[in-house]
Amino acid sequence: MYRFRFHGRGGQGIKTASRIFSTAAFLEGFYAQDFPMYGPERRGAPVAAYVRVSHEPIVIRGYINKPDVVVVGDETLLYDPVADPLRGFGGGVLFVNTPLNPNLSVDGEVVTLDLTGLALEHIGRSGAISAGVGAVACKIAGFSESSMVDAVVRELEEIGLPDELIEKNVVVAKESYRGVPSFDLDSLPSLSESDFLETDIVHVRLDEGEVGIATIANLGNSAVRKTGNWRILKPIVDYSKCTGCKICFAYCPDVSIHMGEDGKAHIDYDHCKGCLICSSVCPFKAITMVREVKVM
Amino acid sequence: MSRYRGVKDIPEEEYVAPGSALCAGCGAEIIARHMLKVLGRDTIMVNVPGCYAISTLFPYTAVKVPYVFAVFGSGAAVAQGIRDGLDILREKRGVNNDRVNYKVVVYVGDGAAYDIGFQSTSAAIHRNLDFYFVCYDNEAYGNTGFQLSGATPYASMTSTSPPLGDSVGNEYGKKDIFEIWRAHRAPYVATISVSHVTDMLNKFEKAKEFRGPKLFVALSICPTGWGASQEDTVRIARLAVETGMWPLKEAVYGEVKHTFIPRRLKPVEEYLKTQRRFRHLFKPVRRDEEISRIQREVEEYWRRVWEKELNR
Repeated sequence: MYRFRFHGRGGQGIKTASRIFSTAAFLEGFYAQDFPMYGPERRGAPVAAYVRVSHEPIVIRGYINKPDVVVVGDETLLYDPVADPLRGFGGGVLFVNTPLNPNLSVDGEVVTLDLTGLALEHIGRSGAISAGVGAVACKIAGFSESSMVDAVVRELEEIGLPDELIEKNVVVAKESYRGVPSFDLDSLPSLSESDFLETDIVHVRLDEGEVGIATIANLGNSAVRKTGNWRILKPIVDYSKCTGCKICFAYCPDVSIHMGEDGKAHIDYDHCKGCLICSSVCPFKAITMVREVKVM
Repeated sequence: MSRYRGVKDIPEEEYVAPGSALCAGCGAEIIARHMLKVLGRDTIMVNVPGCYAISTLFPYTAVKVPYVFAVFGSGAAVAQGIRDGLDILREKRGVNNDRVNYKVVVYVGDGAAYDIGFQSTSAAIHRNLDFYFVCYDNEAYGNTGFQLSGATPYASMTSTSPPLGDSVGNEYGKKDIFEIWRAHRAPYVATISVSHVTDMLNKFEKAKEFRGPKLFVALSICPTGWGASQEDTVRIARLAVETGMWPLKEAVYGEVKHTFIPRRLKPVEEYLKTQRRFRHLFKPVRRDEEISRIQREVEEYWRRVWEKELNR
């Protein structure tokens, strides 16, 4: 059995990627099981999806704590303590979507490709990486290109994408597929049954109400969490055009624009999630956007 | 009384912190920011399960005023407990009014306002509880994967009303929560929209004058669930108002007045086309019957408003 774990951010199509991979596995004659992490759904937040692929029927259920292959759709998640994509990883294959060539010290093979760049080039949307991520996983597992393309088309049709967009996704999928090497996963050390039974459950003591109720004394402490790494496109204020009209300040959902002493808008890049509402509401077109490549 | 004439007048103080895990482009955050800017520091927020609960995931919170998390159905009941507790401290224990002079605001989604928390809200209004009840209405259960709620409009796709075969998506209409609350004879009921910030600020300011339940329903764009671009949150909310689909109005002791009356309505199509949840109305075949039904209902509504408020 091969265990694949996919990591990404809500909205990138990580769940769809895992479905593309498991459908391709099915087409290749495997038994396959895929499911996303359950949690509050929100765009930009870390999400995960899990796929088991086997020649035999799969009876095991539950999250994958010891993956053979980890596929990371967003480079900024690599050292994110919440997502923790390297948890339980060792001796397998790690794929990271990045234009950089990172020197990662992990136990296992590391493969990288700029899927975001491919998505921007062919689809025009930086978040549209589901086909690319799915294709990369198929290649790593050694599935045929025709099964991969078939799976991409089936899954994207199911979520209702129009035909022309599916075609563009197939182009991205093929390029991604050809851009990474294949591995002989059968040579990986197989895991014992006890590895699956590990859980992260923490048993909490039942306390009196006054003790047991979770209380936060430091109001507004979420500011220590830097949501700036959610961003794919970065808004930039052109100060020759900014008149200080405060409209972007009014509509910023994340309190990440403040009016400076110069009377102009300043963006807090530690927290800006890159929704770009500011850019769309600016009456003077003073806020432009650039693709951002974050350092890991 | 209009205190805020434009965005220039928005108070600088922030009672919401950055760093929460809400979706990029979330409408509920914009509403929370402005609501707390007007209500101020001396506010206690009651929250229940829903998208905005993500503002506070232990051990972090993005809310800078006292905040209580209650179970889904009982936001208003918890507000009653807080209000009564504060009043008892003042009246029976002789605590100085300055120390207990808090506003209590229940900030919940449409699931908790229209459906699951409806009973406790209705009961609190009936008891004339002095509180604010603000619903950020994203027209479905957005936090759990966009399931149908009582606030979902006709023909919207949700994960529990998929437009398969001949289905239009949601076959039921949206509950008119404004009229339901108005029928309780609450002192102040208002609708607000993410796009009209000045209108929103003025309504929160005006609500401060009243003692008793002050109820708000806010159109809160959900880019994730609605299948819209996150930068379009404000543009879509503005289209909802300009097409007439989301009227901006208030009711003082039941007397309705519209705070924005479009002279001419943009076609509802312009609004529907911005969102994937209505895509099946246009593709693969255009469904004129459903689109014109939505258009007709909007026009009938405004014809009555124009007659009554503009004598036209």
